[in-house]
Amino acid sequence: MKLLRSAAALAAVSLCVHATPTTAQTPTGLQNSQVDIAYVEPSNPDYRPIYERLQKRQVLEDLREFLAPLRLPRKVLAKIEQCGKLTRPYELGGPVTICYEYVAEISKLAPKERTPRGVSREDAIVGAFVQAVLHEMSHAIFDVLKVPVWGREDDAADKLAGFLMLQFGKEVARRTLNGAAYFFEASDRTWTGSDFSDTRGTEAQRFYNYLCMAYGGDQNTFKDFVEVEDGAGSRVVRPKGPARTDLLPARRVPWCVKEYNELRWAFNTLIMPHVDQDLLQKVRARQWLRSDDGK
Amino acid sequence: MRRIGTALALAIMCQPVHPADVSAESSPDLRNSQIVIAYIEPTKSHLRSVYERMKNRQVLEQLQQFLSPLRLPVKLPIKMLQCNQTNAYYQGGGGPAGGVHICYEYIDWYERFVPLDQTPEGFTREDALVGNFVDTLLHELGHAVFDILQIPVFGREEDAADQIAGFIMLQFGKDVARRTLTGNAHAYRTMASRREPWPRTMYSDTHGHDWQRFYNYLCIAYGGDPETFKDFIEAGLLPKARADNCGREYQQVRRAFNETMGRYIDQDLLKQVQSRQWLRPEDGK
Repeated sequence: MKLLRSAAALAAVSLCVHATPTTAQTPTGLQNSQVDIAYVEPSNPDYRPIYERLQKRQVLEDLREFLAPLRLPRKVLAKIEQCGKLTRPYELGGPVTICYEYVAEISKLAPKERTPRGVSREDAIVGAFVQAVLHEMSHAIFDVLKVPVWGREDDAADKLAGFLMLQFGKEVARRTLNGAAYFFEASDRTWTGSDFSDTRGTEAQRFYNYLCMAYGGDQNTFKDFVEVEDGAGSRVVRPKGPARTDLLPARRVPWCVKEYNELRWAFNTLIMPHVDQDLLQKVRARQWLRSDDGK
Repeated sequence: MRRIGTALALAIMCQPVHPADVSAESSPDLRNSQIVIAYIEPTKSHLRSVYERMKNRQVLEQLQQFLSPLRLPVKLPIKMLQCNQTNAYYQGGGGPAGGVHICYEYIDWYERFVPLDQTPEGFTREDALVGNFVDTLLHELGHAVFDILQIPVFGREEDAADQIAGFIMLQFGKDVARRTLTGNAHAYRTMASRREPWPRTMYSDTHGHDWQRFYNYLCIAYGGDPETFKDFIEAGLLPKARADNCGREYQQVRRAFNETMGRYIDQDLLKQVQSRQWLRPEDGK
């Protein structure tokens, strides 16, 4: 996904932009004509730099290009807008909205220095942005393609987003999933009572889900995401010493490969029939992340 | 694995049949021959009474009848047994260890766990026993069906298994829906309030938090039948922000059920099963 770039966008978010990004987006010459895009000018001047950076980085143009292989039976509008809150949940038939407030939050929570799990500030920004865009887009995809979704739709959107992050090589997977997981780790808060009535999972659940998806999808690349590696059927024993809260606890680890295989099955069964394989090859061959993204 | 629960099941599932049901009960067609049931005698003496009650109540025989519309390509064992753990779970892969396992320990634990008194909101022990037992059976069957029929599950499978259980509870009339869903919500509320707070790493579990499951069941109930469950909203049990989304959530589940499983359901047999009375007034007592 394009996103990545988007991520870059983020870069935007954070700062600066290089002069080159525009060229990166043209190599495939692709775009999904069913995806309309809009950068809505924010009224709050604080968000103006984000608005300008995202636009300059052509984040949404990248998204449209990234989605080229997907056959959508109707138009979908993807926009970036000031929402007055962090997120504006997708409504059936509605547009996909990324809020400037959320983009600002990503920047705010990104670590100043590399974390113990190895998350850089840049990857935190790139990964969280890509996650947000793909998650919101996933809701629209479920709606437009009438995908039968078992489980909570919000978790399914996280999973579709995570699955896509794993399909573009190890480097993209590493940067985006590390960042996506980090955002939920960093935004963790204590939930009580009716907080749990939210349609979304808790930040801690979403954090652990991303660690598990990454490890399940590529055990070798993500072995440092787990407290202890899967013993392939043997009982997993947690190492002695204080537990590290930034890794996937041993209790969940044995489930991750199975969960990933289920996710892949769901994707192949329910989404792949709507994907043009030739265009997919082109999209997969493109470099979506740049080394300066998130900077 | 699941959680707990089942307990009551029995109660629930009840047995024998009212005069009106006799024909359904005796119909040779109303039995799923792919479901292989077994009550395995426990070695621990304190589990013996659970074992005997389940067997006398013919809980698994009833389940075999209840599942008659489901077309399964392979045999599915459903066992009640001593597991040496408090649990109920589905084990895939076939073989002698495969199938749905309902542990006597779980039933024993749950019966002692459920509050004795009715709550101010009207939740009763009887419904909590019946509701959670039915939920446990249906939830584990959900896992089995997802596995055997290779149903694509995009969200978290544990939530999906809760959804299928909740959805089925809504397809057998208002009385069944009310008793099972209300009772199951009561079970989760009780677990939630007794197991708080969760340590952070518990959020890595494949199951949702007890409170999330509580709200999910209320939501599917209200979304599927707003009239029968509107008092949940009036009592403030289900916040309005979530309640407003429940119709959409129910429709999502209904569509998932119909599109991914509809072809495995015999509609004529389903009608027969739906016309039968599965719960009795004394269940859970």
